[in-house]
Amino acid sequence: MSHLSAENVSVSFAGLKALSSVDLQITPGRIVGLIGPNGAGKTTLVNVLTGFQAPTEGTIKLDGAALTGLKPHQVRRRGIARTFQGGRLFRDLPVLDNLEVTGVGLGMSRRAAIAEAEAMLDWIGIGALGSRIAGTLPYTDERRVAIGRALMGRPAYILLDEPAAGMSTPEARELSALIRHIAGDLGCGVLLIEHNVGLVLGLCEHIVVLDSGAIIEEGPPAAIRDSEKVRHAYMGTAANTDLPVLEVME
Amino acid sequence: MSAASPTIEPHLTTGAIVAKTPRPFVLARRTIITPILLALLMIAIALLTMMTGSRPFNQVIIDVFLRVILVVGLYVFIGNSGVLSFGHIGFTCLGAYVAAWLTINPMMKKMAFTGLPSWLIKTQMPYWEAAIIAAIFAGLAALIFGRILMRLSGIAASIATFAMLAMINTIYSNWETVTGGTSSVVGIPIIRSIWPYLIAAIISIFIAWAHAISRSGLALRAARDEPTAAAASGVDIPRERLVAFVISGAIMGLGGALMAHSIGVVTPDTFYLGLTFITIAMLVVGGMGSLSGAVIGVVFLSALIQTLRWLEAGVSIGDVAFAIPKGLQEIALGIIMIIILALRPAGVFGNREISLTRNRGD
Repeated sequence: MSHLSAENVSVSFAGLKALSSVDLQITPGRIVGLIGPNGAGKTTLVNVLTGFQAPTEGTIKLDGAALTGLKPHQVRRRGIARTFQGGRLFRDLPVLDNLEVTGVGLGMSRRAAIAEAEAMLDWIGIGALGSRIAGTLPYTDERRVAIGRALMGRPAYILLDEPAAGMSTPEARELSALIRHIAGDLGCGVLLIEHNVGLVLGLCEHIVVLDSGAIIEEGPPAAIRDSEKVRHAYMGTAANTDLPVLEVME
Repeated sequence: MSAASPTIEPHLTTGAIVAKTPRPFVLARRTIITPILLALLMIAIALLTMMTGSRPFNQVIIDVFLRVILVVGLYVFIGNSGVLSFGHIGFTCLGAYVAAWLTINPMMKKMAFTGLPSWLIKTQMPYWEAAIIAAIFAGLAALIFGRILMRLSGIAASIATFAMLAMINTIYSNWETVTGGTSSVVGIPIIRSIWPYLIAAIISIFIAWAHAISRSGLALRAARDEPTAAAASGVDIPRERLVAFVISGAIMGLGGALMAHSIGVVTPDTFYLGLTFITIAMLVVGGMGSLSGAVIGVVFLSALIQTLRWLEAGVSIGDVAFAIPKGLQEIALGIIMIIILALRPAGVFGNREISLTRNRGD
């Protein structure tokens, strides 16, 4: 079965362990959540999966073949896309060009990239934004454009790094619906890294919890919701506390 | 950054993504007005020069066209990649010497360049053929240097390009049997007609435009704005930089060859810090991210330089003779450039292009 996996991955920065023997698997059409308090190593894991950070130990595999050592653009060309905290759009370029960049980066002609970019913007529901300069967009639209850019070329996997940050509850619900469509309609495997734990609990079939670079818990949403270890990681105490933003997005 | 406008409510379209391929050459049709308008500006300047019939003015305009070639060449790399290069005038030097080797009378070459291979000494070709070969030679040199330099970014890349310029200057200043060393290389056929320079300037503008709207140009501009996101979008940044470096190197080589034919004499120091400064200044003042800015920056600053030169030489208005003190030209030019950059840090044009309609930044 097709899958993207991190196997026994560790990362050290000057002796400090950012990730410690992490195992993770994502399969097409499935949404996996990755949560944990600040500094848990979530973004480091995304960087390792996408070639931006070499693991100190362990390997990244796509369908059993090692990806370790590939450059980020080579990882993307193998169908593993990502978004960034803060969007990181090409701010001086129009929205349509932002999506086209991925198309041409993947080897499409500009004409084919324009066609796919227009279709992608329409699919996400922001077709009207195509001619807008990306740097003038409101924050939430930036996030949608970043997701559209990552979806160009129909990647097999997409890693979403805090896509709901700064969104209101209705906007987060819209995003939640979009992520479901990405997994359901496009058959894309999704890794959702998010501080809005409610959104993750409502969307994901499987959730992995990182703390201080190590996996402290994983399982279905119900198991994570009831886990004392997870509450302790977030709140520093197991007594009478709730996970942050516990409104579940159904 | 301009104020954010209200968020557009998304309306998800479920199911398949259906792409409709646009008409062929849609981008070219949408943006070609920019190089056409710039070419018309060049043609208008050339016609005006013909009408005046002034030989000194003819030479001034030839210099303007040469600077257009060089600054457009710089724009192809610096404007699209955002990497400031101090080394491109090195390619101009390479082009100028290739033109000298290929067009000077063989008898003169035999005496001046004893280290040249005999086939090259015997070769003498028309200036335009030599200019094409000079462009190819400079492009190949850019390919060799670029394979190493384009792996660097930011200030490291800029310093490395400066080191490349210093290397080329040192080699050409000391390899006496091949380059004549620091002595002036004379005997290069002088081309006084304005048309070859005009045609080369227009060709350079269209090459720069074609690169800007190409896949490579778009990917490079994205990498300029957000290299991390560009890499995550599948863009091979060193490769796209190398493509631009080679194209811009070739244009600089073409400019160097024609520069040699405009003055008839070259030395390595003709192509060093002074020319590096003035070409980068013209690009920065016009707007590094804009082809229109590159061209109009040259026209504007050339006009300014020439006006200040005339004022230094003295101007008579009626019975009153007027002249500004010697050296004021450089000071005034520096002050004007500082004022422009203080008011518009991205240059006069920023990232915009001249167009008959509102353009979309291609």
